[in-house]
Amino acid sequence: MAAVIRTSGLTKNYGGTVGLTGLDLEVTAGTVFGCLGPNGAGKTTLLRLLVGLLHPSQGRAEVLGIDVAHDPDEVHRRVGYLPGDFRAYPDLTGEEYLRFLGDLRGGVDAATVEELAERLKLDLSRRIGALSHGNRQKVGIVQAFMHDPPVLILDEPTSGLDPLMQREFLELVRGARADDRTILLSSHILTEVEAVADVVGILRQGRMVTVDSVEDLKARALRRIDLTFGHEPPMAVLAATPGVRELRADGRRAHLVVVGSTADLVAALAPYRVEDLVSHDADLEEIFLAHYAEEG
Amino acid sequence: MSVHVYRKTLRDQRRAVVGWGAAVALLVLLMAALWPSVRDIFDADLLAAYPEPFQRLFDLEAMATGAGFLNAELFSIILPGMFIAYGVGRGARLIAGEEQDGVLEVVVVTPLSRTRLLLEKATGLATGIVGLDAVLLVVTVVGSIVIDMAIPIGHAAVGAVAMVLIGVQHGWLALAVGAATGRRTLAVAAASAVAVAGYALHVIGALVEAVAPWQPLSPFTQAIDAGPVSGTVPVGFAWLAITALMVVAAAIPLFTRRDLVTA
Ligand SMILES: Nc1ncnc2c1ncn2[C@@H]1O[C@H](COP(=O)(O)OP(=O)(O)OP(=O)(O)O)[C@@H](O)[C@H]1O
Ligand SMILES: [Mg+2]
Repeated sequence: MAAVIRTSGLTKNYGGTVGLTGLDLEVTAGTVFGCLGPNGAGKTTLLRLLVGLLHPSQGRAEVLGIDVAHDPDEVHRRVGYLPGDFRAYPDLTGEEYLRFLGDLRGGVDAATVEELAERLKLDLSRRIGALSHGNRQKVGIVQAFMHDPPVLILDEPTSGLDPLMQREFLELVRGARADDRTILLSSHILTEVEAVADVVGILRQGRMVTVDSVEDLKARALRRIDLTFGHEPPMAVLAATPGVRELRADGRRAHLVVVGSTADLVAALAPYRVEDLVSHDADLEEIFLAHYAEEG
Repeated sequence: MSVHVYRKTLRDQRRAVVGWGAAVALLVLLMAALWPSVRDIFDADLLAAYPEPFQRLFDLEAMATGAGFLNAELFSIILPGMFIAYGVGRGARLIAGEEQDGVLEVVVVTPLSRTRLLLEKATGLATGIVGLDAVLLVVTVVGSIVIDMAIPIGHAAVGAVAMVLIGVQHGWLALAVGAATGRRTLAVAAASAVAVAGYALHVIGALVEAVAPWQPLSPFTQAIDAGPVSGTVPVGFAWLAITALMVVAAAIPLFTRRDLVTA
């Protein structure tokens, strides 16, 4: 399948600071690519390079076969972009602002804008300066989607949205994928990316340390589990269960880490009296640890 | 061709033009109201008391006419200063200011090219200054008629054009520096420094013989040396327009090739 987003040796240095180093990336059509990474990993740098707001120190970026540095406006025509820190003219109403941006794109369908606003429960008649952070973010989401672009580049799109609206946003992304659009989004939140992405790339200190399908990532994911038994924990049994690590007892409780599926653990626990089971989702750092552990 | 950024630039200036226009109108009418009593003073033989270079610089002889009075009191420093302040403040805001506020990012990621963005904003700024200037022209003409200053409309118009040119030139400089660097404070500082240097050169050139040959480099000299409220259109006007255009043209490649700063 043709790559919609392609970078080769893409590098960005800010003076002495490394933003992104030698990135070779391909995102195929109809894919949701989730870009994960801790603060300062280079996610925003990558996204801003892809829309030509930054110029690469080395290497190149292509969107739909168009070299971004060579013809940024042709790329802009085909891209919906949401910056990581979205700001809009505070003196305009949502409607005025979106009409202005729509005009710059040669006009957008008013019905599309209205439908998006309705789905996100956004009041377009209010001045943007008077909107809450989350509602302003919705304006940003609408402007990125409103011209039905074949490519969407979204930097931390759910920041500031309440859980209900986060879910609605993920629905928007699924809908866009169903229409065969290509989406690259960045996030800190693994579960959010898991919920919607097909492929996840993990950036760290300007390098893409892994690119993987969500299934593979999940299979490798670590989960911390706290078990409370009605008796002494069966430590020998737990220790012998595949995938269990970092096992430690604490009275009638056992703390452990499971790599990948919990099926074996649940089967092993069947004969015992488990009074309580608390599972913590692996955070990003733990995913990295899993990745590095595997690399040895 | 649709010019949405130009139209927005105009719309954003509506309130400012009204406010600044009111200030300009008040100033001109105030000065015009003073004119009858000043004329009486200058009828007396007061002029001879001033050294000759000062007479030249402030055109004291001309103070005996309505046009000369307005030139000396308004068109030589206060009005140019106001037009420059308006142009520089707006010009720095249009790109660097919006960029530092973070609102330009999404506008740039549209099919509109950065060149087009810069040109539409430059044109919008110039149009705003022309709007302010229209207020100036109208009050000057009306004031002249009401107070009987005997300033021909054509002469008032030349003076008004001088204000537009000096305002646009400095405003575009601030716009260009902002576009080239993305830094609003730097844009204001650079354009203000040029304005102060230009005025200093204009004044010192009139007083110091050795500096006189350099005086034409000053935008002030080019704009106001002939009056500016007068019957002649100085060639300096063309020079002002050309340098203003050159500054914007020079900013285009710098703006297109650089990274946009984040808020
Ligand atoms: N304009 C800049 N000037 C200098 N250094 C910069 C600039 N922008 C980013 N950096 C540096 O580049 C690196 C990557 O930053 P980037 O903003 O891409 O990270 P990020 O993954 O988006 O982080 P976050 O999760 O906090 O948004 C960081 O070390 C950052 O300090
Ligand atoms: Mg970021």
